Order: sequence, then C-alpha cells, then structure tokens
Amino acid sequence: MPQLIRVRPTKIELVKLKRRLSLALRVQKIVKDRLSILTMEFLQTARETVESKRNLLDEMSQMYRALSIAAGYHGYVALEKELLASKADVAVTTGLRNVAGVRIPALEFKEPAKSMRGYSLLETSSCVDHAAQLARKSLKAIVELAELQRGLELLGMEINRTKRITNALEYIIIPSLQATIHYLAMKFEERDREEKGRLKRVKVLLARKE
Amino acid sequence: MPAQYSGDEGQSRYERMLQGYLSGELRIVNAGLPRSQKTLAVLLREEYPHLLCHDGSTQLIKRKELDYLASMLDAGEQEALLLPMLIELGGDQSQATILCAGEVEEKVISTILNMPLRQGQPLSRTPAVPPVPTSAVPPASTTPAGLPVSTRERETITIYRPQLALLRKRLKTTTQYLFSQKSSAPDPSLTNSIE
Repeated sequence: MPQLIRVRPTKIELVKLKRRLSLALRVQKIVKDRLSILTMEFLQTARETVESKRNLLDEMSQMYRALSIAAGYHGYVALEKELLASKADVAVTTGLRNVAGVRIPALEFKEPAKSMRGYSLLETSSCVDHAAQLARKSLKAIVELAELQRGLELLGMEINRTKRITNALEYIIIPSLQATIHYLAMKFEERDREEKGRLKRVKVLLARKE
Repeated sequence: MPAQYSGDEGQSRYERMLQGYLSGELRIVNAGLPRSQKTLAVLLREEYPHLLCHDGSTQLIKRKELDYLASMLDAGEQEALLLPMLIELGGDQSQATILCAGEVEEKVISTILNMPLRQGQPLSRTPAVPPVPTSAVPPASTTPAGLPVSTRERETITIYRPQLALLRKRLKTTTQYLFSQKSSAPDPSLTNSIE
C-alpha cells in the first residue's frame, strides 16, 4: 500500500502535490526513454561482443598455426632472431563516445603508414609474412573487443542504476503522490458535505427562531 | 487509515530533489551533444577527427565511419553533411526522429537502411516541426523484410526502433541521441490551479 505524505489538508498543498506529481511523471518518462535506449545499445553491444570474440579466437588460432609452421620451417632460434628486430609500437587512437549519458571508450587501431616489417625478407620465407599479417589482424580484433567489452560493462552498470530509479519512481514516489492527492480530494469532498449539513442545520435553527 | 510518513520538513527537500533530478537527468543524457556540428569534409581533413561536447569533453569520431560515409557521397555532399546526426527520441518509444538540414542525410539513411524514404509531406525549408506521436496509427507501408518504411517530413526523418538499431550499428560515433523535454510534456490536469 502506498504511503501517504503528511501534509496540511489545504488546497494549496493539493496544488503543490499535483505539480510534484506532474514533475515526477516527466522524470519517469525521460528515465524510461533512457532505459530503453541503453537496453537497446546493451543488446547490440552484447551481440557484437560475441561476434568479435569469435573472430578473435579464429584469428588467433590461425595466427598460432601460421607461427608454428614458420617456426618449423626456420627453426625457433632463427625465427626468434628475426622477430627481435621486428618489435614495433602499437598505435591506438583513444577517445570517448557518449551514449545517452554514458561515456564509453572508443578505440581505433591505427594502421602503420608503411608495412615496415623489421625482419629481413631475404632470410625469411612467406610463412613469416603470413604469420605477421595474421598477428596484425589479431591485434586489431583485440582492440575492437576491448572497446566492446568495456562498453558492455559500463552500459550494464548504468542500466542497473537507471532501473533502480525507474522502480523507485514507479512503485514508491508516484503511487504515494497519487494516494495523497486522492486522500486530500476525498477529505475536501467530506469537508464540503459537512459544510452543507452545517448550513442546513443553521438554516433550520434560524427558521425556528423566526 | 493508510500509513503515513513524515514529510512536513522534507516537503521542499522532496520537491527540490525531484526538480534537481529532472534537470540533472536532462543534463546527463544531453551531455554528449556537440557544441557545434562539423561537416564530413572538415572531419575527413582532421588527423584525429573529434567534436567538442557541451560538457567540455571531446567525442572521438571513428575514421572507419567517416570513410564509410565518404564512400557513398560525392565531394559536394561531403561539404553539406553535418555530423554528428542528431536522433531525437519521439513521444512514444517506438520511433525516433533524425533532425536534418538537407537531403544528404536522407541519402545516407536510405543507403544504410537500404530502403527509400516515404515522402510524408512536401519538403520545405521550414524549421523542424515536432513529430506527432502516431503510436496508435500503424505505419502506412512496409519493406519486404516487414519493417515499416521511414518517412521524411519537414526537415526531419522518422525512423522506427529496428531501423534505429541498424543505423546505430553502422554509425556509432557519427550519430548522437537527443532527449528533449517536449516529449515529456506535463499533463494539463495535473498543473491546474485550485478548482
């Protein structure tokens, strides 16, 4: 049962309560809109995350297979020697994007301008090239998955918060305001009826005196 | 007699909390709106394409999305397309409105959604008119996939929820949600004075 707000039973208070209810309904509308958008984005991000994870696993398994073949062809020591020289920094553009008030990190893998491999093309075979190419693709997939997973976490947290607010408005604040408005309206009606009865009584008394 | 809780001293606090929450919520949801829009051509020329938001933060625009948009537009259209495209949420939760200044947006959206836009009313260069909630009215026509055809009327394009998801999937950083207060207009019966 909704709780009543203790207010003075005056018409001014009734007007104030009605205004408050109107405000609460507006807040509820905005919060619900936001919740529906966040849920839509969350579901979409979840789908993309699953797809991205599957892609990453495929690419990683292909990359390890290619690397094993390259290692088998050149030998571990020779391959390691070549790969030592091919170390390079990974460039990722980072920023934020805003989804209905939630700041989600946006990451973009920056492709190197030139394909500087670092290792000698004369002393290595196409197996190493192939493995390097697949490794680059895997890196790109890792960056993409990182962005999606963080987005998923942040959206989930915000959905929880927004849901709590929606529930508070829907089940506590708005019902208590409605119940109080109803209670005051009933009280005023009752007072009107009493007033009418009193007037009738006074009229009868005056009539008797005359 | 229903249970009561003390609200005498908390009355103004209660009202203040609600009002603060409304303005706070609007501020939070619209914090990501850009201070000004940039054209696609300008963003393509930037090394790190970004936009300044109302809350002072910057929003990164992904080059992949810019390249995708550039691939479907010619040079003149690239100069005309303003980004990010603003998606205003409609009165009912089933549809959204894209605010657009020209017909380039129409081309972009119809290409992404892979459907023509139904002409709702004669196009005119008047300011954007708020969409009329048509939750009770079913969409006039549908695509072969069963999705309702979007409509373009007076500087706005109306799309439906499944199309919005499709659009956001392709253009994550080049579109932005806009929550307006008009969709949550107060009930006149609740704001009247003493009867």
